[in-house]
Amino acid sequence: MTRFLRHALVLTIAFLLVAPQVQAMQIEEVSSAKGLKAWLVEDHAYPIISLQFAFRGGVEQDPPDKQGLSMLAAGLLSEGAGKLDAAQFQKALAQNAITFGISAGRDDLVGSLKTLTTTRDKAVHLAHLALTQPRFDPDAVTRAKQQQIVQMKMSLADPGWQARRALFAQIFGDHPYALRSLGSAKTLAAISDQDLHAFSRNRLARNNLVIAATGDITPQELGEMVDALFGDLPATATLRPVTDVKPKLDGRLTMVERQGVQTVMLFAAPGLKRDDPDWFAAQILNYALGGGDFSSRLMKEVREERGLTYGIGTSLAPMDHAALLVGQAQTDQTKTAEAWKVTRDVWTKLAHDGLTSAEIDESKKYLTGSLPLAFTTLDKTASVLLDVQQNNLGRDYLDRRNAMIQAVTPADIKRVAQRLLDPAQLTVVMVGDVPALKPDTTQPMTKD
Amino acid sequence: MLKRFRIRSRQIGAVVLLMGGLLSFPAPAKIFSPTTFTLDNGLQVVVVSNHRAPVVTQMLWYKVGAADEPAGKSGIAHYLEHLMFKGTKEVPAGEFSRRIALEGGEENAFTAWDYTAYFITIAADRLDLAMKLEADRMINLALRDKETVPELAVVVSERQQRTDNDPEGRFREQLDATEWLNHPYRKPIIGWPDELRALTRADAEDFYRRNYTPANAVLVLSGDVTPEQARKLAEATFGKIKRGPTPPPRVRANEPPASAERRLILRDAEVQQPVLQRSYRAPGWRTGDHTQADALDVLAELLGGGEVGTLYQDLVVKQKLAASVDVSYDSSAWDGSRFVIAATPRPGVAIKKLETAMNEALADLQTHGVKAQDVADAKQRLERSAIFARDSVMAPAYVFGMALTTGATIDDVESWPDRMKAVMPDQVNAAARTILGAPDFVTGVLMPDPHAPRPAQAALSAPTAEAQGAIR
Repeated sequence: MTRFLRHALVLTIAFLLVAPQVQAMQIEEVSSAKGLKAWLVEDHAYPIISLQFAFRGGVEQDPPDKQGLSMLAAGLLSEGAGKLDAAQFQKALAQNAITFGISAGRDDLVGSLKTLTTTRDKAVHLAHLALTQPRFDPDAVTRAKQQQIVQMKMSLADPGWQARRALFAQIFGDHPYALRSLGSAKTLAAISDQDLHAFSRNRLARNNLVIAATGDITPQELGEMVDALFGDLPATATLRPVTDVKPKLDGRLTMVERQGVQTVMLFAAPGLKRDDPDWFAAQILNYALGGGDFSSRLMKEVREERGLTYGIGTSLAPMDHAALLVGQAQTDQTKTAEAWKVTRDVWTKLAHDGLTSAEIDESKKYLTGSLPLAFTTLDKTASVLLDVQQNNLGRDYLDRRNAMIQAVTPADIKRVAQRLLDPAQLTVVMVGDVPALKPDTTQPMTKD
Repeated sequence: MLKRFRIRSRQIGAVVLLMGGLLSFPAPAKIFSPTTFTLDNGLQVVVVSNHRAPVVTQMLWYKVGAADEPAGKSGIAHYLEHLMFKGTKEVPAGEFSRRIALEGGEENAFTAWDYTAYFITIAADRLDLAMKLEADRMINLALRDKETVPELAVVVSERQQRTDNDPEGRFREQLDATEWLNHPYRKPIIGWPDELRALTRADAEDFYRRNYTPANAVLVLSGDVTPEQARKLAEATFGKIKRGPTPPPRVRANEPPASAERRLILRDAEVQQPVLQRSYRAPGWRTGDHTQADALDVLAELLGGGEVGTLYQDLVVKQKLAASVDVSYDSSAWDGSRFVIAATPRPGVAIKKLETAMNEALADLQTHGVKAQDVADAKQRLERSAIFARDSVMAPAYVFGMALTTGATIDDVESWPDRMKAVMPDQVNAAARTILGAPDFVTGVLMPDPHAPRPAQAALSAPTAEAQGAIR
């Protein structure tokens, strides 16, 4: 098995780590006849087209009494459309080697369409049907709801999920970021056909859409493709406005009681949104703190030095309406107090002293040198293009990024360390049973 | 993410199964078109060139895994894998990872029953560093208690995380131990708790000396590297290593025929969602019938190929009993393998009901056989996966490494689409009858039970400071 566990928390950051090689990649901005925009990297190495797209507005759009709606509806778009029921639709995809699907993230719906050049038209036809004429047949809806409940039940037995659940409820309170993506049996039961059709009408529009593509396709062809796919979607999405929120990071220690061999620790601190001018300084800081696998301070102190965990890591979690720095570790129940103390010590030291120039240098080397690894497949490339667009970083972003990383100074790092690493705001949820830590709050696990 | 390698996916085609079709040009018989050569010291090198991205994945595979461990030392293969990062004569502990990271590379390793693999993905112009470092630790590992002792605690932590603290992990561990009566595939790769905690540095050094030699390894380079470049670099790095002692023969304890149906139930108070798993003995590529193995590949896809799998359509869609159905078979094993069907019941459906329906579906399959169209469809999906496989730097390194360490050949990989094409419905039926008709299958059930006791704590906690000394 792997000697290092990559946490599910490591979000979309990885592929923003850019280096010189990308200058070889030409990003074209395509404007279609119907006025849709898409970014394209033409690559005729294989007869494959990888298209990725996103509609702004995700799980945070779910009504509180109908949590799970976005995930349910997004999944159901591929479960029958036009004259094809679920089995027929899926068969058409599978037998034509077309991959298509849409899923719900916190802030957006993310979709992908992957096809061979020769079946491109078929792929477009099927995806277009799904986007504009989903059937939401009763059997398919019942099945999808039950499958989502099964997924949710499996989450309940996962202490990592329990930790995330408790943390998000605590720091986001009534804000939609505290909504449960999968929902519950109760909220899923409350979702009606009208809700599903309204989802399809309101959430998939031309004005909240971002598109990226790579592979065996010319700009002209891509223009035609996106018009065929998205051209007759409503002009405007109907979304509930979501306000920005400052997560409640008051430094408390919450114990979610669980008898087990290990404690899961999930900790959070203020983060930065993607467009923050200190973003790259934060990337460098995070890499040295806990983002950098074995070269990070936390891994060194908690795992390498003391053998207290199989893995500890941190990552920046920028969202549309909030931003966090999050970290996670699992540790033997009897060693939790020590592991947390060491983690806090590392945190506090970093907050006061910043990084050494060697650490800054090493972080920069990794961040710039690992760029090419972000583009090893068509899908990864399309994904980067999508992300850069969604964050409005500019078409030349990949060319500028290196210089921006190199330009970060020790003073920048010190400033960001003070912004993010205030020990009084380091908030932790533990799933375990460690009364010696004197938790500020003790609560049971989520049961359903 | 990488799991312990009872790969619950299809065999040599496993990683290849991401993809699509061959409509646009004449179906190539080749997938990756590798070149290969062997150094004087016995190290086989496989090169798959792909110049789309300026990146190379280097994977070094040792032909040794958990199934090759000495008796009583379960977990040593995996523990050694961890220790391979803990310093050589030239490169102090932690430096390996640090030097790769400084060059923007990513690296990791994994252990399975039949192989242990170390990989580095890095910008192509830094491949020489990756090869230097990998060659160095093949022969120069220099371990100290200072590192090996805390690392044992880390491995115990890993066991806790993946198994002791996770009902599904415990379930899988018990299933493995039930499926195999005598063969070391029954042991957990991470090691049984007591044996794991007793492992020493000397054990690791012994295992290393005996098994980590050039003739006992395969190096796969995939990505932006030509065969000529690869040869040059290989000679300059691995080529300097002397041929070591002959690798030990890979003879494992015999697995006798099973003569009883086995049933395993794990009850846990935290589990909310029952899981049903059925497994049947099935051929491994090296020792088994290839026609049957290929037919089972097709059968697994036919039954469980996503939502279009016939078992999914039957149990999930038509009968509305299951929420999910998963069918897997992987013939990449030095010895035998398993054909596995897993399913989760929908809310309110008793697991017994689901199991009965599954049994009926499998009985029906054996009586009436498969539909020719279903076979054709499954084959088409499998064949087409080949083209998408090439769009990856890492995938070829996996596929060839897995093949060559489990007794398969390069040609077995390359000819896979052709072999899939050649599978006939009657072969699928014969395989189904033989494999799924055997009476010695294992059924596992993971059950919610609010009254189930918590797993015993004592045996599972980390080594104590007294026992280990150096842990603070």
